[in-house]
Amino acid sequence: MSRIGIIIKREYLQMVAKKSFIVTTLLVPILTIVVCGVLPVMLSNVKSDEKKTVAVVDLNPGAPFASVLADTDEYIFNNVEMADGAQTMAEAGLHDFYASQNDGGSGLYALIVIPADFEQTARVNIYSDKSVAMSLENTVNGSLRGILRDQRIASYGIDCLATIIRNCDVRLDVRNVKWNAKGEETLSSADLSMIIGLVLAMMTYMFVMMYGAMIMSGVVEEKANRIVEVIVSTCKPIELMLGKIIGVALVGFTQLALWGVILSVVGAAFGIGSMVSNPSAIAGMAGADQAALDASVQALDQAAGGGSLGRIVQMVLSINFPLIIGCFLLYFAGGYLLYASVFAAFGSAVDQQSDTSQFMGPVMMVMVFALYAAMFSMENPDGPLAFWCSMIPFTSPIVMMIRLPYDIPFWQLASSLAILFATAFLILWLSARIYRTGILMYGRKFTWKDILRWIKQ
Amino acid sequence: MYLEIKDVCKAYGSYTALDHVSLSVPDGSIYGLLGPNGAGKTSLIRIINRITHADSGEVLMHGKPMTDADIRNIGYMPEERGLYKKMKVSDHILYLAQLRGMSKADARREMDEWLDRFNLGEWRDKKIEQLSKGMAQKVQFICTVIHRPPLLIFDEPFSGFDPLNADQLKREILRLRDKGAAILFSTHNMSSVEEVCQEITLINKSRVVLQGTVGDVRQMFKKNVLEVTTADGQSFNYSLQPGETMHDAISRLNNEYELTGFKEILPSMHEVFVECVK
Repeated sequence: MSRIGIIIKREYLQMVAKKSFIVTTLLVPILTIVVCGVLPVMLSNVKSDEKKTVAVVDLNPGAPFASVLADTDEYIFNNVEMADGAQTMAEAGLHDFYASQNDGGSGLYALIVIPADFEQTARVNIYSDKSVAMSLENTVNGSLRGILRDQRIASYGIDCLATIIRNCDVRLDVRNVKWNAKGEETLSSADLSMIIGLVLAMMTYMFVMMYGAMIMSGVVEEKANRIVEVIVSTCKPIELMLGKIIGVALVGFTQLALWGVILSVVGAAFGIGSMVSNPSAIAGMAGADQAALDASVQALDQAAGGGSLGRIVQMVLSINFPLIIGCFLLYFAGGYLLYASVFAAFGSAVDQQSDTSQFMGPVMMVMVFALYAAMFSMENPDGPLAFWCSMIPFTSPIVMMIRLPYDIPFWQLASSLAILFATAFLILWLSARIYRTGILMYGRKFTWKDILRWIKQ
Repeated sequence: MYLEIKDVCKAYGSYTALDHVSLSVPDGSIYGLLGPNGAGKTSLIRIINRITHADSGEVLMHGKPMTDADIRNIGYMPEERGLYKKMKVSDHILYLAQLRGMSKADARREMDEWLDRFNLGEWRDKKIEQLSKGMAQKVQFICTVIHRPPLLIFDEPFSGFDPLNADQLKREILRLRDKGAAILFSTHNMSSVEEVCQEITLINKSRVVLQGTVGDVRQMFKKNVLEVTTADGQSFNYSLQPGETMHDAISRLNNEYELTGFKEILPSMHEVFVECVK
């Protein structure tokens, strides 16, 4: 094995064997599944056993509206009979009335007052000494709106008016139809494209940050405990630096692949439903797992009888995954190489971990800017901000992820990638020059001026 | 000559680290590289290791200019020791051995022998961070010599060792010398120089100020003092008068006292060092 191979092997094995790597690799997909899949389902199943009592005062003669409020799983509606309701309440004061109803700790949750002019104003007040749950509002709204609507329709005395209105209530069905290369029609979705772009951009950002920081701390560790002097007496500094960068990259790809496998296995088990709410599973699903995807898609299609689920599936399939994943990996590699070189160079310029911040700051600012640019590019993926930021190599690995699902012109992709890789190799070369001097320099804080001098040396 | 350094110069910016330095290290000998802190020793060692390059001058190995491939013929133990704390002892030794071009099987065989010699056998699967400082230093030593390099460079090898371990290390270094290695030995510990070095070079302020065998150097700096012992148990030092030869002095003393012994006092390397550098 060549020297650089030996170095890559050590970096890789050391990092993969770390507890933190194993924990993150297992924990992240589990957390994603829990947060995106299991938790909402669980939460929606959590209902309190205790039913809450709500008093209803209907000030209309005969209390026609109070009776509409039927008890639910959560609420019991008590119709409070009152002869001269309005007057009684006005005399006692609303709050005292509420208190009197709540007397003896019967636990009145809220008081609903349906005023006498309800039919005209369509206004209902819910009183309580606490914030009222959304579900009560929804229940009241659902029940009372329906009856008021029916009453108003009936008041016009026109036959079949209810049906007419129903027919006029148009709900538009907007379908994005995209022609594929063969001119066949496929369904696409702007929302889905956006989600996929965002997930890819976030992943690139997180990975470059995470693994860049790992490289930096690795370089600083070697320098701080002086092993670097022994290592560079056996190999060239550039070999050590490249070995570290490549070794850590392989760790990153291993982690991505493991996440892809874990998420797609779980995804296939949970069905496509959880996958749609959890697009990282789709992103992580490399070609190797296409079979699993297809299988779950078919199963669900049958189950859903080709309904709206079928449409979602078709939208998912309309996304050009091979292109997106291919480009994602290329941008990921280019962006990583660029930033990892910068991190390695800065790591070599400091004596200990705590000194890294002066160089980290500017890098962080650029990365955060890239992330913001990506967010704003979502609004207009073909606009000037999106275009220029997907050309500038320091932002393109993140911003281009947003644009990828929107079928950008080939020349843009090609030139952006060319610029990215050209810059990455230039930065790598500069970093190597800084690195070979920096790792042997001890004793004081180095400034940007020193670093420029090292490059020129 | 195993290693020859000819007229090497090195400058960092306006600062001259090495100014026309030359020296030669023969096979099977220990060569002392002496000098105060900042004299240029580390710069020279880094040039020999090809970590940095000389601005001018030559480094020859067996008479041929050194190339990158030659670095696997060097074992280098820097003064500031460092190992990867999280690595296992055996993994660490094998890693450095392989980086120096040894096959894994070969490295493993050699490692087992060294670990046994230092009684570290049962520590092979422990992480470096679990070792005591002395043990870690021994691991560092093994990493330096495992690939059987014909040229060894030790920078302050005994610092941090207790006397017992320092003796053990010294025995091993002498054993390697006897097996034919050329050893460049950089230290401030002058008594160890007297004990192990055949030749020395003293660098001060980037220049060679003294060069030769330990015996010659001490002769060169002698103050012409005799230690005289007489029959009545007296013992005193006698300094030669200006123009007086050793022979004159002894015959004069012999007339005055009943001599039982006299010996020329040579300066210690410590005194030589201080006189050259001050």
